[in-house]
Amino acid sequence: MSTEQYELNSPPFDSISAVRFSPSQNHPNSLLIASWDATVRHYDTSANEQKSKFEHRAAVLACCYADHAHAYSGGLDTYVRELDLDSEKVTSLGNHSDAVSALCHSKETGAVISGSWDCSIRFWDPRSAASQQASHKVPERVYHMDISHNNLVVAMASRIVHIYDIRNMDSPLQQRESSLRYMTRSLACMIDGQGYATGSTEGRIAVEYFDPSPEAQEKKYAFKCHRQTIEDVDHVWPVNCLAFHPIYNTFASAGSDGTVSIWDHKVKKRLRQYSKYNGAIPSVCFNSDGSQLAIGVSYNWDEGEEGAKTAERPAVWIRRTGEDTKPKKWSGP
Amino acid sequence: MQHQKAKHFKCGMCPRRLNTAGGLAVHIQQVHKLEPENLPRIENALPGRDGYEVEIFGMEGIPAPDVADYKRRKEIELGLAAGSISQPPAKRPKIENRALTEEELKAQLEAHKALMGSGTDMGASAPTADAGAVYGAPPQAYAAPPMPAALAPPGMPPFFPGGPPPPGFPGAPPFPPPGMMGLPPGPPPPGFGMPPFPPPPGMFPPGMPPPPGFPLPPGMPPPPGVRPPFPPGGPLPPPAFVPAGSYASPPPPSATPSLSATPVHPGAPGSLEAPTFVRSSSNTAAAPSGPPPNGPTLPNPALAQTNPPFKKQTILKYSDANFSPEEKRAYHSKYYVSKEDATPQEEMKGKKRARAEDFL
Repeated sequence: MSTEQYELNSPPFDSISAVRFSPSQNHPNSLLIASWDATVRHYDTSANEQKSKFEHRAAVLACCYADHAHAYSGGLDTYVRELDLDSEKVTSLGNHSDAVSALCHSKETGAVISGSWDCSIRFWDPRSAASQQASHKVPERVYHMDISHNNLVVAMASRIVHIYDIRNMDSPLQQRESSLRYMTRSLACMIDGQGYATGSTEGRIAVEYFDPSPEAQEKKYAFKCHRQTIEDVDHVWPVNCLAFHPIYNTFASAGSDGTVSIWDHKVKKRLRQYSKYNGAIPSVCFNSDGSQLAIGVSYNWDEGEEGAKTAERPAVWIRRTGEDTKPKKWSGP
Repeated sequence: MQHQKAKHFKCGMCPRRLNTAGGLAVHIQQVHKLEPENLPRIENALPGRDGYEVEIFGMEGIPAPDVADYKRRKEIELGLAAGSISQPPAKRPKIENRALTEEELKAQLEAHKALMGSGTDMGASAPTADAGAVYGAPPQAYAAPPMPAALAPPGMPPFFPGGPPPPGFPGAPPFPPPGMMGLPPGPPPPGFGMPPFPPPPGMFPPGMPPPPGFPLPPGMPPPPGVRPPFPPGGPLPPPAFVPAGSYASPPPPSATPSLSATPVHPGAPGSLEAPTFVRSSSNTAAAPSGPPPNGPTLPNPALAQTNPPFKKQTILKYSDANFSPEEKRAYHSKYYVSKEDATPQEEMKGKKRARAEDFL
């Protein structure tokens, strides 16, 4: 076993849709993996073992933690479920009218927020009897969501991005068109709450800021990545996932080209590119103390059914991260 | 490691043996003053692995892809299922011992038929030849306590005077597809535990109810010897052994999407456990709404996107501007679930709860 990274035992049988580490500082090794094999699996990465498995009726597209013992899942069967990681109980909170594609949890309000291809965002309070609290219409299918304090960023189909203040969901704070010209494929909010990054199907990442002032907006930029020039032809892969480091505020990007890169968006530099994995990378996630990066490797349907026939089996790698994710001039948070 | 020293890291010019490829390279350069570019290739190495770039010490430092590659090769060599070495051994597939629902039974019967081949044209001996060993098995396996005392041993006398069929026998008919029942009685297949005798008229007419006094419960697990026609360890459909008579009519062909008949994920040896089962049952539930539609539709066609052109020659690996790969995948028959199929979740919840409580 290499000291730099190791492969997780008993990975899902089908493609990985999301890897998520627990946000709890006391549980830096608690990892959830949602998969197209209709399961959410709970792992202890330090013991390298699967702790439990939650079976679903259909492929699971999204999962998120609330605290170390509670998590939520959603997928093709349209239901949002609460998973109790200790007792292994599953409770349905309710459903959308199409697949649940994104989930996040607000530390501030305790709400669970689900986004769906049915063009709505729904709020759930698992503690109350009527768990669905509100449903908000959005113009397009929700692809990705992330939350930073009270700012909820929703990336939709047709390159629409809305920013909401979750305390007032009546209308979005800001409505933006993606600064990337191709389908939004990934989204993540900065740790310092200043902004977010999006990735597109056309190997490109945009870094943007919440502050609507012209000075702040002027700082936004985009750059190319996850591409390769072979015999004068550009091969361009989708950027499937972005994840910010919880301490250094640098971020990792993962692409269908099978690579993971670490970026320092302040100085616009790449800090590191890890050697290529043997398949597309649909999802990556840092753990709560930033010492581990989970990397899900599996086919993610870029080439449809055909590609599935030749794809490698799914794998999850846990990479120990350290200096390579730290900005060159790091003076503390 | 001794093997490495002896076979691979041996200097060609003197008897010295080195620990690693790098060590050997340095040794040759320094002791024998050879230029680095014309170092001899490493002896006895696999093609492509005879360079000095990879520093391997014992079992440490082997590049991960090479390990995977090795395991795969071994798997092929030993004729094992892919992944049986590279993945931890799968747990014994869960076989639920509850009585199966009619839907599931039908699905499994379909699967069974598909496996046995659709042929009504099969010669009498063809299908039974490989099932030969099986024929002997049922009587013995079914000779469980509930059997009536009249149980006839396998080696019973050749003629069977029109009475009730031997108790063990009804277990066998399901093997050939029901269509075979109507075939002329031809010569007995090899290994057919019994000497020739013409089957009494009307012995196995399709649709015949199981003979009285034959208490084979539908969920009864098949005896071990009965397995061969199926991939070993598969999500075995025990109900396939229910006397064919209980299914007088073939199941409606469209009732179950074909995916329920494909129990194994491609390339995933361990996938025999529950997930597939879950999916197949959920699909049977979703079945009435028919096969998946062709694909996703735009909720608001006015917003439809087109990818802008490239300045340079470019191969975009995912070029659909309107639907994500996940949306398309959701419409593949393997994953599709009908949106209208809002089966009460209580069912699943209940199951989970019950199971959790079992442990308490």
